[in-house]
Amino acid sequence: MANHNIPEVKANWEETSGVWGMSIDMDVCSGCQACVAACAMENNIAFVGEEDSGYGRSLHWLRVEHTFEGEYPEVEATPFQPIGCQQCGHAPCEPVCPVFASVHSKNEDLNLQVYNRCVGTRYCANNCPYVARVFNMRDYERPEPLPNQFNPDVTVRRRGIMEKCTFCIQRIHQGQDKAKADGRELLDGEVVPACAQACPADAIVFGRLDDPESKVSKLSKAGRGVKLIEELGTLPRVTFLEEEKTYGRTG
Amino acid sequence: MAVLADSTKSFAHPIEHDHEAHLREEHLMLDPRPRGEMNAMVMEAMTTTSWKFWAVAAFLAVVVVICLGYYWGYMITSGLGVAGINRPIYWGIFLVNTVFWIGISHAGTFVSALLKVFKAEFRRPFTRAAELMTTFGLVQAGLSIFMHMGRVWLSYWLMPYPNERGLWPNFHSPLAWDFLAINTYLLSSTMYLFMPLIPDLAMARDRSTGWRKSLYRVLALGFRGTEGEWAHLRFAMNLFAFAILPVMFSVHTIVSWDFAAAMRPGWSSTIFGPYFVIGALQSGISAVAMVLIVVRATMKNMKYFIRPEHLDALGKLMLIISMAWAYFFFNDYLVQWYNGDKWTDLLLHFHEEGPVGWMWLAMLFFNIAVPWATLWNKSIRRNPTALFAIGFFVNVAMWFERYIIVPTSLSINRFPFTYQFYKPGVEIPLSFGTLALFILLYMLASRIIPLVPVWEVQEGQMAHSLKKFGNESIITISDLEE
Amino acid sequence: MSEKLSRRDFIKLAGTGIAVTSAITGCGPASRYTTREPYTKMPEYNYNGKSTYYATTCRECPAGCGIVVRTMQGRAIKVEGNPIHPVNLGKTCARGQASLHGLYNPDRIQEPGTRTRGDSALTAIDWEAAIQIVSDALTSDPNSLVFLSGLANDHVYDLAVELCASIGAPKPIRFSAFELFESQATLRQATKTVFGSTNPLYFDLANSDVTYSFGAGFLETWQNPVANTRGFSKFRRGSDKRGYLVVFEPRMSQTAMKADEWIPVAPGTEGLVASAIGKLVAEAKLGSAPVAFKSVNIEEASTLSGVSVETLERLATIFANAQAPLAIPPATASGAPNGLGSVISTLNLNVLVNNLGKPGGLYLSPDAAIPAMDSSATYKDLQDLVGKINAGKVKTLFVHGLNPVFEFPASLGFEASLANVETIVSFSTYADETSSIADVVLPDHSALESFGYQRVKTNTLVPILSGAQPVVAPFYNTMSTVDLLLVAGAKAGGKAILPYKDEVEFIQAKIEPLMEAADGYFNGADLPTYWASFQQFGGWWQNSNSSTAPVSAGSLDVAPQISTELSIGEGELFLHTYLSPILAEAGANKPWLQEVPDPATTVMWNTWLEINPKTAEEMNLANDEVVKVITEAGEIEVSVLVYKAIRPDVVAIPFGQGHKNYGRYASNRGANPADLFGSTVNEAGDLVYSSQKVKIEKTGKKYPLSRMEGYTKLERDLGEH
Repeated sequence: MANHNIPEVKANWEETSGVWGMSIDMDVCSGCQACVAACAMENNIAFVGEEDSGYGRSLHWLRVEHTFEGEYPEVEATPFQPIGCQQCGHAPCEPVCPVFASVHSKNEDLNLQVYNRCVGTRYCANNCPYVARVFNMRDYERPEPLPNQFNPDVTVRRRGIMEKCTFCIQRIHQGQDKAKADGRELLDGEVVPACAQACPADAIVFGRLDDPESKVSKLSKAGRGVKLIEELGTLPRVTFLEEEKTYGRTG
Repeated sequence: MAVLADSTKSFAHPIEHDHEAHLREEHLMLDPRPRGEMNAMVMEAMTTTSWKFWAVAAFLAVVVVICLGYYWGYMITSGLGVAGINRPIYWGIFLVNTVFWIGISHAGTFVSALLKVFKAEFRRPFTRAAELMTTFGLVQAGLSIFMHMGRVWLSYWLMPYPNERGLWPNFHSPLAWDFLAINTYLLSSTMYLFMPLIPDLAMARDRSTGWRKSLYRVLALGFRGTEGEWAHLRFAMNLFAFAILPVMFSVHTIVSWDFAAAMRPGWSSTIFGPYFVIGALQSGISAVAMVLIVVRATMKNMKYFIRPEHLDALGKLMLIISMAWAYFFFNDYLVQWYNGDKWTDLLLHFHEEGPVGWMWLAMLFFNIAVPWATLWNKSIRRNPTALFAIGFFVNVAMWFERYIIVPTSLSINRFPFTYQFYKPGVEIPLSFGTLALFILLYMLASRIIPLVPVWEVQEGQMAHSLKKFGNESIITISDLEE
Repeated sequence: MSEKLSRRDFIKLAGTGIAVTSAITGCGPASRYTTREPYTKMPEYNYNGKSTYYATTCRECPAGCGIVVRTMQGRAIKVEGNPIHPVNLGKTCARGQASLHGLYNPDRIQEPGTRTRGDSALTAIDWEAAIQIVSDALTSDPNSLVFLSGLANDHVYDLAVELCASIGAPKPIRFSAFELFESQATLRQATKTVFGSTNPLYFDLANSDVTYSFGAGFLETWQNPVANTRGFSKFRRGSDKRGYLVVFEPRMSQTAMKADEWIPVAPGTEGLVASAIGKLVAEAKLGSAPVAFKSVNIEEASTLSGVSVETLERLATIFANAQAPLAIPPATASGAPNGLGSVISTLNLNVLVNNLGKPGGLYLSPDAAIPAMDSSATYKDLQDLVGKINAGKVKTLFVHGLNPVFEFPASLGFEASLANVETIVSFSTYADETSSIADVVLPDHSALESFGYQRVKTNTLVPILSGAQPVVAPFYNTMSTVDLLLVAGAKAGGKAILPYKDEVEFIQAKIEPLMEAADGYFNGADLPTYWASFQQFGGWWQNSNSSTAPVSAGSLDVAPQISTELSIGEGELFLHTYLSPILAEAGANKPWLQEVPDPATTVMWNTWLEINPKTAEEMNLANDEVVKVITEAGEIEVSVLVYKAIRPDVVAIPFGQGHKNYGRYASNRGANPADLFGSTVNEAGDLVYSSQKVKIEKTGKKYPLSRMEGYTKLERDLGEH
């Protein structure tokens, strides 16, 4: 399959369930940040240092949000919520890029960021309602021998380039090709992105949304499932399972 | 009463004479001088430079080298981190400046094309001064866009041409529209600047020696002033005057679409198109007034060409446009506030109460309160210092308006966890660099090309005359253009 | 310039140009009909060769998670959990993920060296000279040799124990900031008191339906956070129940943020609250309370702890009616004058509801897979050690896997006492506070370059010996400390000769008995085969549960020691110190860990002081203001972070930063709250640090904290919108 790696751009978006999807159970997410670290290590994300990270320039593809509501002693923490790219089926970041650096892949139904096309207008990031995109403000230094750790499957980005969560597309491709080489279908759970693989609470579940039997399909349709600011019509592929502060739930 | 009637009677003739003299003093169109003398005046204005001129030019050149050359080079080599942008404020002062300079550039076209189409005669002496602003303003806007880009060395990728990358630009993107609109505007406004310049260049060619003569000979394209040449020129100018107007409206509308097309609270507003156009005129006309006041004060013979009547007319325009701007502002604010979206609501509060809330208040004060309180008064309108100050404040306020729309609004999005503030970095020297470059280019151009379209003035003067109807002196105009 | 051609044609041309441009812009995207290819194909779409995976053990903390490291062309690329390892079942924490930044840390010590005390630079020596130094040390007076060891280096410690025993030196001392901040000695002693056992307790969170935690940060650093989080996940979503978690602690930790209820108890009253709940539960279930709870005055407990009587009654009802109630003892709060009593009270609560050996209750972890040498030192032992050093009785100090100058509180006087030690030998992989003053630095391989094993002591129902092997060849001129000690011992001769040729032989000798062990995950007919499997699977473990049910040693019938002393020191506020969930004791030199936001406050790259908004207002303090925190023992300067979820009488500071010399990413960053600790120890020998009172003074300085969260900044400016 020579061309299956090549992304194609859909000019018209159709309402589909999507191909790859993720569900994140906020009831069990412990906010431990393992996913954040795993994502950074898998995807060669640069660290930016104290000053830049405090100024909102850290390059986390995934951020674990939470806040406190109310005042002491009635203060409550909102559930931890890891937010990265929602891999919208109808992504606002795609049409606004003047150079097709932010494109939709037909095969995976994912939002790709083609780093070497990016000229850094940052329109995509402005138009992303999830604030999921991060921009390389500088060539952040990674002194020797830290670059030895670089994942050869993932581009190392330079200054002036936008980047974001890819659903670990390198793992998807490798998984698909392995299944093809073995002459079989991809199994549910065979491909996992770095965040889901690390998650000690198994809060993050990844899989195919076009397979109704997959774990993620079932979870996405579960009663607790919500999608973030769905009303914008972005067709996000990440479902958050809401926390229930009850005792003794059954079923 | 009697005394007054008496005196009127006794000085009947001198008063009538004074009235006419007054009209001639007031109106450039009624105050013709011999053609040769006027041409010489324009030539003299162009060729006279004092040490002060060169001192200012040298200072500006140093500012340009340091602020634009050094800081931009520094930013290109070390990345946009030296600027103030962050997540989620990905657009900062560079785009504020882009919008601001495109706004400034609107005045030129407005003055020379729209006023021409509407036959506003007062425009004649300063169309070129305004058009020069268009061209040089667009240069600053373009530079600001380039500064804004993360990888400016690849900016040619925005151009649609067959290439080895096998990629066209994405015409879905408002930025691609922008790129084309600004380029179209730059090209057409430059041509529109150049066309009426040809007879003046020919005039200058015939009256200069040395390098100037060689230069003007090339630029004048061999214009000799034959009937056919004039006919072609008039036809082309008329055509262009109508053709460039939609371009002018479209370019700032498209700039507004960069914001209005995005899914952001505070940006996604249907009225942004006309609101931006009016905003552009608001700052542009004020800038024209400022430039004219400076030109009048510093260049030789300019007091003849630019008179209080022109400032008066511009002052009226500023007042009307300020009212229009206020209307659009209120409309935009009301509709956004009324829809009740909680993020928009938060954003509007943030505009007023956030860390740069003073900017919001200053914007309203200088954009509405100051013009409304002053410009109804004729003597203020005709006072160069006062008008300059008002124009300056309006421009500052309009810059604030863009600042509020771009970085301040970007502070607020649907994920409060990500909120940040914007602290400019090298944007500040770079902004001064663009301003200095604009003034420098303008200064140099004022000594290279005739800043007054002397043939248009003469044409106007030929068409204007004072006719007496009974005791009244009436200004009459014959239309030469059609 | 031809006059005939120019204008008209020019305008025509220009017109055509505009027409073409508008045609292009107007006719919609050509993209609809073309297939676009990336300008250059990205690595994400290509293959770059095959990876090799090695199973080993994470040594970022003593928990002993199994990991699998992906390597390619001799470089370690990514750490993943070992999916068959029973402790973590394929999962990792942030520290494990970032351990590669330890392996490839730019501030590793690259070769052995010596220095004159006080110098900063090392003079490089070769390993021959290094061996000579160690062998000289082994031949000198054995009584003057002390071996200090960390917790995550079992095989080095085991060898050191053997070596010290053989030459007659005192037994190596094991300690770490983990021991201090989790007050493990108190828990050990309480387990002994309540259940008469030395085996660690296993808290079956996964099967519990109501869990009351009295302040152990079990989702952060306590015991094995990965295993605990897995348990927590099952607790919440594992079966048809949703577990109800209540956390009692003065400051809302990450663990408390996941709780259904956070009860802000006054520091030091955790045991009292546990006893009060115990009394109410007993009265509800049995009619009368056993001796252990009988003397508790509910009203008084309510006043002291700040928990209303109604809340106590409500919580007691929930606990009494639960099918599988579980009480988890305090960790931080154990470091209080009444710490032992508090832990005993919570364990008694478990005894009371009789969840011993039942699903969702308490178990005793089995004996370690290979005999455990013994447990760690207490803080009391450290004080004795410093006394011994000050008395001039220690000539040579070996330090491995531990950074005592940083991890031991300043009030212990360890650093000052080192002037009395003739030779300090550090086996540290990194430049740290200890290795930068050591006379001899003989760097060990980093964890991912070395062989080894780690006993899994906590969070396990089966005996596990987690195996470690090098995943990459050593990057620098380092030497395995075990090899070094063996070679130096051989050179020293006499009793220092141990019967192992090298590190691998030593480890093989240790695991050989496991070949015979019943019900192992794998077996081996001979040692090489067994060794290969041991490496391949990342260790050895038993298949079946061999935990035991704890048996009450009658502690319910013993009246508790009620310590009236709730605090030490002078000041208006309690200081609550906790181990940073992300950095813990030694993560600060890994740049990506520095950039991972703290789960509760989202601060990166620094230390902060958490303070209740009301208290901050009273003291006129705002975010990012630098304050001086003062105790009798010392003072530190730290930026203020207004934190809603903390008691008004408590301020909290995380431990993990404040390094003076720990590589470029950690040095001179933040502050070390351990500088504020006194030297009081509790009944179990643990340092009393959680009931420390502090004074706070303004300094007038400001230092902005790097925070991921931006909302509070806005909230401050906008008020309530």
